[in-house]
Amino acid sequence: MHELSLVQGIIDAVGETASEKGGRVLSVKIGVGELAQFDINLVRGLLNDLKKGTSLEGARITVEPEKSKVKCLSCGKVWNFQELAGPISSDEREMIHLLPELLNSCSRCPSCSKSYFEIEEGRSVRVIEVVLDA
Amino acid sequence: MPESESGLDFRRGMIDRRLARTRRVLLVMSGKGGVGKSVVSAALAGIAAASGLKAGLMDADIYGPSSALLFGAKGLPAEGESGLVPPVLGGVKVMSVDLFASGRPIPLAGSGANEILLELLALTDWGNLDCLVVDMPPATGDIMLTLTSLRKDDVRAVVVTMPDRLSTSVAHRVLELLKSGGVTTVGVLGNMVRGSAKGKGTGPRKLAEEFGVPLLGQLPYDPSVSRAVERGNIESLLQTKFARALRRSMDVYLSGMGRSSSRGAG
Repeated sequence: MHELSLVQGIIDAVGETASEKGGRVLSVKIGVGELAQFDINLVRGLLNDLKKGTSLEGARITVEPEKSKVKCLSCGKVWNFQELAGPISSDEREMIHLLPELLNSCSRCPSCSKSYFEIEEGRSVRVIEVVLDA
Repeated sequence: MPESESGLDFRRGMIDRRLARTRRVLLVMSGKGGVGKSVVSAALAGIAAASGLKAGLMDADIYGPSSALLFGAKGLPAEGESGLVPPVLGGVKVMSVDLFASGRPIPLAGSGANEILLELLALTDWGNLDCLVVDMPPATGDIMLTLTSLRKDDVRAVVVTMPDRLSTSVAHRVLELLKSGGVTTVGVLGNMVRGSAKGKGTGPRKLAEEFGVPLLGQLPYDPSVSRAVERGNIESLLQTKFARALRRSMDVYLSGMGRSSSRGAG
C-alpha cells in the first residue's frame, strides 16, 4: 500500500509548488506507469480522498496510464513490460511493483539477451503537469 | 495568467519530510571499494542502537548491497500506510535494495541506481531517528552527489580509509569534494591498520591533519570480523575487537548525539 505514501507525496509537493509561486492550482495531470502495476482506480480514489482541504481540492485532476518503454543500450531494441524475454514470478512482479528499476534484475533484452537496458517511460507514478493560476 | 510546471519530482519533498524526523544523517564513505565501509557502517549503527540511540542503516551501495547480509535481514519489507517498514535487527532499522532483489544481480544503466536510492529514501518509514547511518557506495557519482545535496543541515560524513596510498589518495578526493560541497566531516577513520601505519605523517593521520579534521581512530585488522560476517548477525560483529575499537573511536560523537536533541552533535 505504498501508493498511499506516493499520492500523499504528490499532494504535498503540488501544494508546496502552489505556495511558493503564490498561485491557485487549476489542474494536475498524473501518469501511472505500467511497471509499478498500480490499480489506477485506487490511485484516483486516493487522490479524491486526500485532496480534501488541500490546494488540490478545486483543481481538475486527471490520471492516465502510461505504457512502459524499455530500451536496450546494447542492440537498440525498444520493448515494454508485456514483451519480456521470459516469464517472471509473482515475487519478481512484486519486486518491480515496489522498485521498478529491478526489472533489470529479472529480465533481459528480448532481442539480444543482454541485461544492459534502461527504462525510458512508464516506471511509476509521476506528476506530468501542474497548471497554476499565478 | 496560467503557469505550467512539468517534471515535478515529488520524491524530493517526501525525502525532506522523512529526514526531518532524523536528527543526524551520517554518511560513511571512502570513495574506494574494499576498505570496510559496509562493515563500519553496520557496526556503527549497531553500536548507536546499543548505546540507546534510535538508529537506522540505509544501504546506499545499490550495485553491491551488503547491509541486509550483515544484519541477517531477509524478505520484502512490509508495506504500511506511511510507507515501507524497515525490518529491525539488533535495534537497528535496516533498509537495503537487497531486501527486494534477494541476492539477484542488479545491473543498472544510466540513472537506475539513483532512481532506486530516491525511491527507497522517499518510501522508507524510518519514524523518528537519532541517527541514520548511510553505507555509501564506492565512487563519487550520482549517489554521493544526491546524498551530499540533501536539503538538510544535519548531514555529516565519516571518511573511512585503509592506510595505504591507493586508499588514502581516493579518500583525499572525497574529502576535497566534501569540503567544496560544504558537508561537515566528522573525521577520518583508519581501518585495517597495522602498527607501523599508525605513526605521525602516515595514512589516515596525515589525511586528517591535511584537512584539519579529527582522526577518529585507527581500527585494527581483525580476522574475527570475517567469522562474524559469516554468522550474519550484528551481535556477533559487535563482539569483535574491531567493533570495540570502533566504539571507542565514536564514543564521544555518539554520546554527544544522545545528550541533546536541540543542540545536536557536531
